Amino acid sequence: MSLFDKFQPLSAAQSALSGTGPAAIATPIESVHSATRGSINGNEVILAGTNNYLGLTFDADVVDAAGAALRGLGSGTTGSRMANGSYDAHRALEQELAEAFGWPAAIVFSTGYQANLGALSTLVGRGEYLVLDSDSHASIYDGARLSHAETLRFRHNDPDNLDRRLARLGKDARRALIVVEGLYSMLGDQPPLEAFVEVKEKHGAWLLVDEAHSFGVFGNRGLGLTEACGLLDRVDFVVGTFSKSLAGLGGFCVSPHRQLDLMRLASRPYIFTASPSPATIAGTRKALQKLLGGQALRAQLHRNFQRFYAAAKELGYRLGSDIPGPVAAIILPDRETALAHWNGLLAAGVYANLMIPPATPSGLNLLRISLSAAHSDHDVDLLIAALTEMTVAA
Amino acid sequence: MEYPFLTDLRKQSEQAIQVALGRALPEQGDIDWQAALTGDVGLDSVQIMNLVMEIEDELDLSVPVEMLAEIQTLDQLAERLCHLQKERS
Repeated sequence: MSLFDKFQPLSAAQSALSGTGPAAIATPIESVHSATRGSINGNEVILAGTNNYLGLTFDADVVDAAGAALRGLGSGTTGSRMANGSYDAHRALEQELAEAFGWPAAIVFSTGYQANLGALSTLVGRGEYLVLDSDSHASIYDGARLSHAETLRFRHNDPDNLDRRLARLGKDARRALIVVEGLYSMLGDQPPLEAFVEVKEKHGAWLLVDEAHSFGVFGNRGLGLTEACGLLDRVDFVVGTFSKSLAGLGGFCVSPHRQLDLMRLASRPYIFTASPSPATIAGTRKALQKLLGGQALRAQLHRNFQRFYAAAKELGYRLGSDIPGPVAAIILPDRETALAHWNGLLAAGVYANLMIPPATPSGLNLLRISLSAAHSDHDVDLLIAALTEMTVAA
Repeated sequence: MEYPFLTDLRKQSEQAIQVALGRALPEQGDIDWQAALTGDVGLDSVQIMNLVMEIEDELDLSVPVEMLAEIQTLDQLAERLCHLQKERS
């Protein structure tokens, strides 16, 4: 009897995916040369399995800002925001995020995962309710566990189903925090946000929108789906991450409620961890400037994903979303077919993501391709050609 | 002593489980109420949560996610549903 026995089913699942080539899960990437190129198994590949939606990881200004902070302020803060880890730059970034939304309060967390963990576990507690979309990210479920609030789920992207669950709560719905995402990373689909807002208002509940995958992608200023839908004055909290469109590491929560600042006194994932390094904060601040004024980047990203979605549909693939977005999730009939597609694309010089149960909703086997503003028109041609080659071979 | 009221709630709970399980696993034969949800029935964690969501709609009640962690068998699930229905009434 070993403490490790319980991991045997996971180990067996991992082994079932292993073949002669590189591992499809936690694929070793030997080096990264640019926002869209890297080396896997000795070969150069197009990176189409990252979350680098605006392609800012190699932006010269972002890299210079991070480098200058690294040299000027050191490699790390070595402490939490509550102790020695609150520098001027952390506060400045919070102010810049709050100003971007036109709201009074913002808090920076050390990772995107911790932003959800820190916000959800603190905003609600015993005697209160979290009402989650069933396809929510693990960080949302983990935040729920840490909160000790009663956690209910509603059917994915179904406002009527949410309405029924809130109705069951009666007047307690006023102590319920609803959580939806601006873009669901597995299927690449978006919520009917306005309908959710209407249900929230009908019951007097609260609404948090996790814009981890939609920040930088949607909205005139890139603030996410909430901005794109014209709903910034009707939601209570927006959570986001620095590790996707902002090309860094960290997360944030912003709110029109000034009292959000009180969360700093009680949020364990905020208090009991080291704050982001000076280089991370400096790079993120520069990337945020580029994101807010990045209409050209967004235009290129949208052009890329519109083209890829159209091509994939023309090839007869079923996609996880009818509305094109930066994540194209190709639904394949079984694990073997999905793995064959993943290997086929890699052989053609394209790195994508293989997603399989139980990480996926409804037991789906997915080949997930992420588009970036840094992909050139020619890159998208190559991605489409590689997928076409796979289709012909199948 | 058996209360007819509770027996009815138990029956409703079992019926809701049967309907939901029939949709999740159409090839499933007779239900073994002592079967472990993950091992014997063969559901993964996501499938269990989806099964419970079907049951919630069938019985028009909400099962808190944290309650699921304590439920190992179909019998325990039926018992919990029975209590939730009783609380509601």
